Amino acid sequence: MAARATLHGAVMFTALVCSAIPAAAHHSFAMFDTTRRVTLSGTVTAFEWTNPHAYIELDVPDASGGIKHWSVELGSPSILMQGGWKFKDLKFGDKVTLVISPLKSGQLGGLLARITMPDGRVLGNGPGAGGAQP
Amino acid sequence: MRLTIAVSSLLMLVPASPGWISTLPALAQTAAAPPSLTGVWGPYRGGRGSDPKLAPPPAGALTLKLPYANTYAERRAAEAEAAARGEPLASGAVACVPYGVPRMMSVALYPIEILQTPGQITIVSEAFSEVRRIYMDRPQLPPAEVPPGYYGRSVGRWDGGVLVVDTVGIKPSVPAYQNMPHSDQMRVTERLRLITADILHDQITIEDPVVLEKPLTYTLAYRRMPNYEMVEFVCDNNREFIDEKGGTHMRVRER
Repeated sequence: MAARATLHGAVMFTALVCSAIPAAAHHSFAMFDTTRRVTLSGTVTAFEWTNPHAYIELDVPDASGGIKHWSVELGSPSILMQGGWKFKDLKFGDKVTLVISPLKSGQLGGLLARITMPDGRVLGNGPGAGGAQP
Repeated sequence: MRLTIAVSSLLMLVPASPGWISTLPALAQTAAAPPSLTGVWGPYRGGRGSDPKLAPPPAGALTLKLPYANTYAERRAAEAEAAARGEPLASGAVACVPYGVPRMMSVALYPIEILQTPGQITIVSEAFSEVRRIYMDRPQLPPAEVPPGYYGRSVGRWDGGVLVVDTVGIKPSVPAYQNMPHSDQMRVTERLRLITADILHDQITIEDPVVLEKPLTYTLAYRRMPNYEMVEFVCDNNREFIDEKGGTHMRVRER
């Protein structure tokens, strides 16, 4: 009986921990290191207004004169619109600055935290984290 | 329509407290017409800028029978470990498999649309474009007679101003509340009611004689989103993929 009470305690504890994670419809954010922020200034090569996520493909000049290419994940069109985005906000060739949480894998990809648009507007990745998703 | 408006107006005048909520069904019954839930509803989760009196009450405890409690705790521990590695264990949603009942009623920040028509209430969830149909005033079938699926079979009735929905036939591979396991005998009972003209609560009770020690009840709250136009959600650019161990990865592109 005592063992069982402990088990229930474990289940409840886990549920509490999970409720602290921002709401996600498609996948966990744990692929990204949300404790880190990387700033990328570069040129948009593609802006894909798609589900389950929108993406910004970005060419970023590096210190050695080369170009590194980054794939940056955004929320979905619905979530982005709730945060003030429009489908035609970006296009090929736009110069932008992104702040992202990089992939933990070390690959050149990440999750958008915020972006400075060509016209100077600063947008986030949707209206902010929601509560727990039952 | 005029009756509905009258009831809604009355509700706005009544202070929000647990005491008056219990009088709501009687009020609506006098009007002899169910309230209209038709429209788009976004999640109302409480927190900053919201009215705590309108937020959903805390969820009840999830109490699983053995051995399900063990399996569930082990799965949660494995999920936490994989997440820390940056390879979170995939759920069906990673492959764009829809949520089904009851989880489609609350997917992140996505709204739902309720369409009330004679004999049927239809609920469309924006995330993954899910659709469920609630057949009004029809008898429910035994769970064993319903083909197992994501939405099962839902029947509804008005209990005064409360829409009571009974769902059976959700297949066990469709994750329920907090990804809890369930059997083919799970029954989901929902009580939807307007707390004010623009706040809707869905009190969800999950019963499962095989898996649950006792029924689990939790409540979702929604705010009306007037004039909102539902956004399409077709999963045609899914860059997440699942490795052989079940971990989730994002596919990056080369230049």
